[in-house]
Amino acid sequence: MRGMMMSENQTFTEKFDLLGCIQCGRCTGGCPVTARSNLNIRRFVYDAYHEEALEELARLAEIWDCTACHTCAVRCPKGLKPLEVLIGLRTMVIESGKTQPTVRDALESVFREGNPWEKARATRCDWMEGLEVKIAQPDTAVENLFFVCCTIAYDPRVQVIAKNLVRLLNAAGVDYGFIDDGESCCGSEVYTLGEDGLFEMIVEDNTEFLNEFQAARIVTLSPHCFTTYNRHYPDLNKPVIHYTQLLAELLDQGRLTWEGGLEKKIVFHDPCYLGKQGGIYDEPRRVLQEIKGAKLLEFGRARERSLCCEGGGGKMWVETESKKERLAETRIKDAKALGAEIVAVACPFCLLTLEDAVKSLGFEEEMRVAEIMELLGELGGGN
Amino acid sequence: MGNVLILAEHRQGAVRDITFEMLAAASGVARDLGGEVVVLLPGSGLDDLAAQIAAYGVKVLVVDDPLLANFNAEKYQLVLGAAIDAYKPSLVMVGHTAQGVDLAPALAVEKDLPFVADVIGLAVEGGVLKATRQLYSGKVNAQVAFKPAETCLVTVREAAFEALEPPGGGAVEKIECPLKEDIAYRQFVEYIEAEVGDVDITQSEILVAVGRGLREEKNMPLVEELAAVIKADLCGSRAAVDAGWLPHDRQVGTSGKTVKPKLYLAVGISGAFQHVAGMKGAKAVVAINKDPDAPIFNVAHYAIVDDLLKVVPKLTEKLKELKG
Repeated sequence: MRGMMMSENQTFTEKFDLLGCIQCGRCTGGCPVTARSNLNIRRFVYDAYHEEALEELARLAEIWDCTACHTCAVRCPKGLKPLEVLIGLRTMVIESGKTQPTVRDALESVFREGNPWEKARATRCDWMEGLEVKIAQPDTAVENLFFVCCTIAYDPRVQVIAKNLVRLLNAAGVDYGFIDDGESCCGSEVYTLGEDGLFEMIVEDNTEFLNEFQAARIVTLSPHCFTTYNRHYPDLNKPVIHYTQLLAELLDQGRLTWEGGLEKKIVFHDPCYLGKQGGIYDEPRRVLQEIKGAKLLEFGRARERSLCCEGGGGKMWVETESKKERLAETRIKDAKALGAEIVAVACPFCLLTLEDAVKSLGFEEEMRVAEIMELLGELGGGN
Repeated sequence: MGNVLILAEHRQGAVRDITFEMLAAASGVARDLGGEVVVLLPGSGLDDLAAQIAAYGVKVLVVDDPLLANFNAEKYQLVLGAAIDAYKPSLVMVGHTAQGVDLAPALAVEKDLPFVADVIGLAVEGGVLKATRQLYSGKVNAQVAFKPAETCLVTVREAAFEALEPPGGGAVEKIECPLKEDIAYRQFVEYIEAEVGDVDITQSEILVAVGRGLREEKNMPLVEELAAVIKADLCGSRAAVDAGWLPHDRQVGTSGKTVKPKLYLAVGISGAFQHVAGMKGAKAVVAINKDPDAPIFNVAHYAIVDDLLKVVPKLTEKLKELKG
């Protein structure tokens, strides 16, 4: 069970800089998951200092409740990343082979097929059918290399993000290329689920694969890929941006216009992986402001205080047994109280979790959740 | 004397089946031993239960006392011990249940009774009582005799004997409760109903799956009835579980269970990708949904596009007819 620590000749304490912690409790104070779980992240940082207690800590169910939203890291006055202690404990569970079957299957699928959804690699580009998509070739220079993300590629509900983006790029005359079915998972969820070894392998493979493309930059559709590439791929030879940054750029250059509008009250939900982890707050708002007739609202908990939807941190494969209200439901209730008719998101996981919450709260008649690209696609008469 | 004394088991105001099963097992033994069957019924407010048991043509000794309102092994042991002292039965039968295994071993020690647990058969051979119990996970049946004693004790496995039809004609006799004050160190706290969680849906051959399309919990009986008719287990989408209609262990999907039944009947499930991932191993999928564009129809072999509140009762009715 101690393999992870010994292999790098580092103790658990050294690896996660546990002695740097001053036990101020800002991490637990801000942790959104405490609303529905017993998870006390400060306590874990404290207890993990005792190496002999690690195995016992790794057996606690609440280590799987963390959504890796990074609120604790954003709030830590010492610049530590308390959540990574939990990931380290998850690694111990994974290495001992005592993983939940759902997690095991997702990880195996990433290893075999390059996606966690147990879908065949060969069908990764099926979403492109009927669209004019420019495919990037490694030996041909292209300005924007698009990285789609497994969920957007395979989940029929969110494929619309990629489809509408292709239409927009074609219309705006952007120099771009999408990757063919050679694209593999960025490993975001592999990392947060604690599969250290597999993640290391993914980073090596993807770095080598992506570095071969002669592209000025990589543009990701999902904030999860965006943050993972920026945080965990030190040898990547090009910058990585999120598609909302590209859209904001195109707007500044006057290359995007829409004839239609949307007379709706829209509130933007900051995805944790884009905002708290990527520092991107203004670009998605900039895009939404361009929608004619739309009235932009703000959550009380916006930007770095945005409430996590619980979609990240591997939570698509691990259920918290808590019967308490899902954070996504809290979020949707907040949106309803604001009078929002549309909750706009810029992340496939936020879309799925928040849309589920709208359904389970029975608010379908009054409001909807939509990804920014979905809304732009509905404006019609694009340039 | 040859009498057989049965400790009746009841919970939440209903006699447990094990009581009637023990009555069936006891009649032959009592006859062969030349005695009669007597049932001890401790509890509180027991008139209906006593009449129900007496209908089996036996004498029911009722110990009715508020102190005995809820099962408590210490108290019941005291009551049963007093009855043994008073009636000196040849055999005492207790269910091999959560209640029975809680008190029988302690009683055996207290009264120094020869004790055979988890019995599936009882016989009197040449005037000697013998009990059958299973060894090696049920691969071997062992017949065991008791060491000579005035009273022997057994716990009887549930469903090992088949309850008989009550012939009627028994009698009820109230006896005094030997317990005079409460036992402080062992208290009944609360009765918690078990969740409908003992079914492992990953092993189910037929599943009826419920989604948000059911709209309200009050519509659950519709699908429960349908499931009962085709002997299916119930499962559901995350939304249905979140709504509290089903326990967590019935959730199908990437964050729940992966199922592979022969038949998956999806009722009011839209078919989110994360749900479909958990049921794609199903051999046959029947989907009922009023939205013709619901993604569940992409994986369904048979599709019914209509309001499930209309379809499900008709389907149940038709299936009942077919089943005769």
